[in-house]
Amino acid sequence: MKRTPFGGLILLVSMGLAMLGPIVTVILWAFAVKWRYPHLLPTEWGMKYWFAMLGRETVMTPVLTSLALTSIATTAAALICWPAAYAFARLKFPGRQLLLFSFIAAQAVPKFALFVSIAVIFLKLGLVGNFWGVVLVQMLSAVLFMIWIPTAAFRGIPPALEEAAFDLGASRLRVFLFITLPQAMPALAASYVLAFVSILFEVDSALLIGAPTITTMPLLLMTLSSKVIVQEAAVLCVMIWVPCFALMMLSRRFMTARGIAQGFGA
Amino acid sequence: MSDVAKSSGGAAPGYALRTGLGPQALAGLALVALPVGLLVTLTLWPTVRMVGATFSVDGHLSAERYFAFFNDVYTMANLRYTLEMGLVSAIAALAVSFGIALYLRFSAGRIATMIHGLSLFPLFVPSIIISYALVRFLGPNGLFQLMLEQVGFTQYRTPYLTPVGPFLAFVWENLPLPVLVLSAGLSQVSDHAVEAARDLGAKSPRILWEILLPQMRRSLLIAFALIFMGIIGAFTVPYMLGPPAPEMMSVFMQRTLGNLQDPASAQVQAVVLMVISSIVGGFYIATMVKSSAGAR
Repeated sequence: MKRTPFGGLILLVSMGLAMLGPIVTVILWAFAVKWRYPHLLPTEWGMKYWFAMLGRETVMTPVLTSLALTSIATTAAALICWPAAYAFARLKFPGRQLLLFSFIAAQAVPKFALFVSIAVIFLKLGLVGNFWGVVLVQMLSAVLFMIWIPTAAFRGIPPALEEAAFDLGASRLRVFLFITLPQAMPALAASYVLAFVSILFEVDSALLIGAPTITTMPLLLMTLSSKVIVQEAAVLCVMIWVPCFALMMLSRRFMTARGIAQGFGA
Repeated sequence: MSDVAKSSGGAAPGYALRTGLGPQALAGLALVALPVGLLVTLTLWPTVRMVGATFSVDGHLSAERYFAFFNDVYTMANLRYTLEMGLVSAIAALAVSFGIALYLRFSAGRIATMIHGLSLFPLFVPSIIISYALVRFLGPNGLFQLMLEQVGFTQYRTPYLTPVGPFLAFVWENLPLPVLVLSAGLSQVSDHAVEAARDLGAKSPRILWEILLPQMRRSLLIAFALIFMGIIGAFTVPYMLGPPAPEMMSVFMQRTLGNLQDPASAQVQAVVLMVISSIVGGFYIATMVKSSAGAR
């Protein structure tokens, strides 16, 4: 079933166009000062709209709100999920399999529908439009990454080294801090990055729980995307997404078939 | 050694107090209590409460709201549109990724590596970014139209604000998982099996149908369930790219709750979507439990 290189080349070019074309368009727009139909490329380039966007309070406030929300939610989720992941991987307790499984099962619940049910409750509690209400709901989105990747990582650390340290008289805390933790660190960091990015760009919770008082970056992007000046949304996209993309590339080792399938429980 | 003995089973596995709540069991339960608590208060409880609320009309138990849901023409059109979108997009995504995985299975070299990389790119692109990017790429006077016009094609009709818009976005977004799962699966089909079949005179379609597809069945089913659930619950893609009517269920829910201020109906819509999703999810979990039971 050897293909000719020609067939491969056609596949490559069409894949390149389909997969990269949309993003390339946005990047072009972000650096275009003038791009009028029917020119294939912008006729005037520059960072004009970058300076305009950075100087505007209606833009920077949502961006800073998003960064604050996301940092708090991701860190809080890490603080409660990483120890739990360690427990799932290393400790024996009643209901362990069932509880671990419940984290997969929860992923089968459609998020938007779930947020509707939460919004109705939060409405009664006065938590809609509340910063901490949004943080709480966003923590849910982090749980998938924060339980599965670390649990798999802790499981993957060979116990021999830990046992040897115990035999030499090290305390459990010492073994954890100096042997287990350093080995799990890359996976923990990756789970943090993946959760951070997915929360940062999440629309659902911001829309149902945060709006109208709390405007996050994705909501701003939605508003800008229907504006006449195309560049504004494009600049925002590039400004926020490119750093995230770089961070995710560093964590891509954990996005393997196994990792993703495990993430989905497969 | 003394430390291990004292702590009744330290961090090393294989020792285990299986009965009673020893210190390790208590520590384990304490460590998982908070995330489990988050799941109970923000997933289990709201869901159960919502199901209850939808069956309660003026304090009485009644399925009235569900009758209203299933008798409303507009609502049913939205539900059908959502399910059709899920079905068609998921099948298309699987077909495309199966093609890519097949190419990758029987090719090597730089082109194959690049195609593999491209098919995984959506993992790094959030829904909102690709939705906006597709508006700019495929929308009216977008880059795609400009490119077509450069080569003399002027009849381009944009899929933006038609059902084709979200369809394309869903296929785009859902390539990585099946490509990864299917190429992992295909790499386990030995070259010998394929060559043997070829030596016996089997043509490529027959090899595909009788050797490759049967071995991929479970992977395909699992990937289909995951993609389908993701699509029917999606909000951002249809909101940004789809037509104003019919609406996909999440967009419909958002409008019912936000614009129409009708939480009672929005909750019924949410419950119906959850039930459909959990049927597919239940099937998926059953397949998984079966396969992991087989693996152990």
